[in-house]
Amino acid sequence: MAFNKDSIMGTMIFTISLSLLCSFMITGTAEILKERKLAKKRDELKRYVLTAANVDLDGEQSFQELFDELVTPMLVDLDTGEMDSNDAVMDFDERMAAINPDTSRKPKKDTAKIKRRANQVRVFKVADKDGQLAHVVVPVHGKGLWSIIYGYVAVKADLNTIENVVFYEHGETPGIGDFVSAPDWVKQWHGKQVFDASGDVAFRIVKGGAEDGDIHGVDSVSGATKTARGIQRAVTFWFGREGYQTFFDKLKASEV
Amino acid sequence: MSSVPTTREVLTSPIFANNPVALQVLGVCSALAVSNSMQTALVMTIAVTFVLVFSSLIISVIRNFIPNSVRIIAQMTVIASLVIVVDMVLQDIAYELSRQLSVFVGLIITNCIIMGRAEAFAMKSKPLISVVDAVGNSLGYGVILMGVAFVRELLGSGTLFGHEIFVTIENGGWYLANEMFKLPPSAFFLIGLMIWVINIVQDRKG
Repeated sequence: MAFNKDSIMGTMIFTISLSLLCSFMITGTAEILKERKLAKKRDELKRYVLTAANVDLDGEQSFQELFDELVTPMLVDLDTGEMDSNDAVMDFDERMAAINPDTSRKPKKDTAKIKRRANQVRVFKVADKDGQLAHVVVPVHGKGLWSIIYGYVAVKADLNTIENVVFYEHGETPGIGDFVSAPDWVKQWHGKQVFDASGDVAFRIVKGGAEDGDIHGVDSVSGATKTARGIQRAVTFWFGREGYQTFFDKLKASEV
Repeated sequence: MSSVPTTREVLTSPIFANNPVALQVLGVCSALAVSNSMQTALVMTIAVTFVLVFSSLIISVIRNFIPNSVRIIAQMTVIASLVIVVDMVLQDIAYELSRQLSVFVGLIITNCIIMGRAEAFAMKSKPLISVVDAVGNSLGYGVILMGVAFVRELLGSGTLFGHEIFVTIENGGWYLANEMFKLPPSAFFLIGLMIWVINIVQDRKG
């Protein structure tokens, strides 16, 4: 039987084989690049965590070595504050965990507008060169104007003073809402305190500018009110009861 | 086509005389978006070249099997698959750059140059000459893109490929960077000027 490309049968055979061919091409490439992609993702994570904890990356040691030496990744159960540290933590997929109904739940008060919160979150204990706990790096995310903004906040061993923050992923308006990754703006966070004396989250991003000496306030950026508000809400949420407060209490108790 | 063009003509005519961006005004969207630095422009050109060459080759090889009723979809499938491959490879070897290019690599799928060459040339021609045509057209796209990027990066940031040429005032030099050249509309003016020049030259030639 001669192959008639314009018959229904011919068209079917052609489209099916073309689709198969193209899908092989794509899955083949994806498979080849898979391992490298995972390694890259891990490296990227290490870099963010170390940057958040203000570890000097320009030294002799590569950042991978520094990470292995100083950082202990842990999975934390947010409701109980239980910590768990094992080798699989580095490959834990937080975003999958946050959408999987078995490993996440709706927050009671979704101030960060994240819809679902994972039960377990990956946090990092960062030691100084003497092996003392220096910083705790915790991930935060929340909705800005257009997008979910993802970042890491590093707090000092008092679990209150902010060392540094890294916002590594966002889809805010270029030129307006993308100040979140600008070094000049991030610098303001250094040394600010998250909690007030009564233990509530007091961190604020202040419209019109924080007053001098305000230990909880960071300047907002005009034109980007919603982005700034989103970040503030994310911090309020993640450092609140639904976030890390239980874990912090437990950590404080265990460190004493 | 009345007369059969030679291989040389197929290769060289899209670079200047029949430039896909300047004369056919195709693929302008990406030319506006990624031409603010030489580096992104070069990577974009390479990505487009890869997709264009391989889509022309594949479509030309299977052209006698493509049913007429689904030919556009078939071309799109081939092009889209190639673009995904390019995107994945780019993310692997040059992650930072791929972030700068963001959606524009994905949007190569809708770049009319590629669809245009597939439909107008590769569907009717043998594989080898199709590849030559694809290379010619990518060069034409690249020439415009690199030309625009050259002006935009030089005047907008005072650099070329990230190397400082004009020392800007911010860095203690004399050059006041023209911010407008960093924004997409400036590429409109530049491409417009290029079209003008090319048209004048073409008219002179008769």
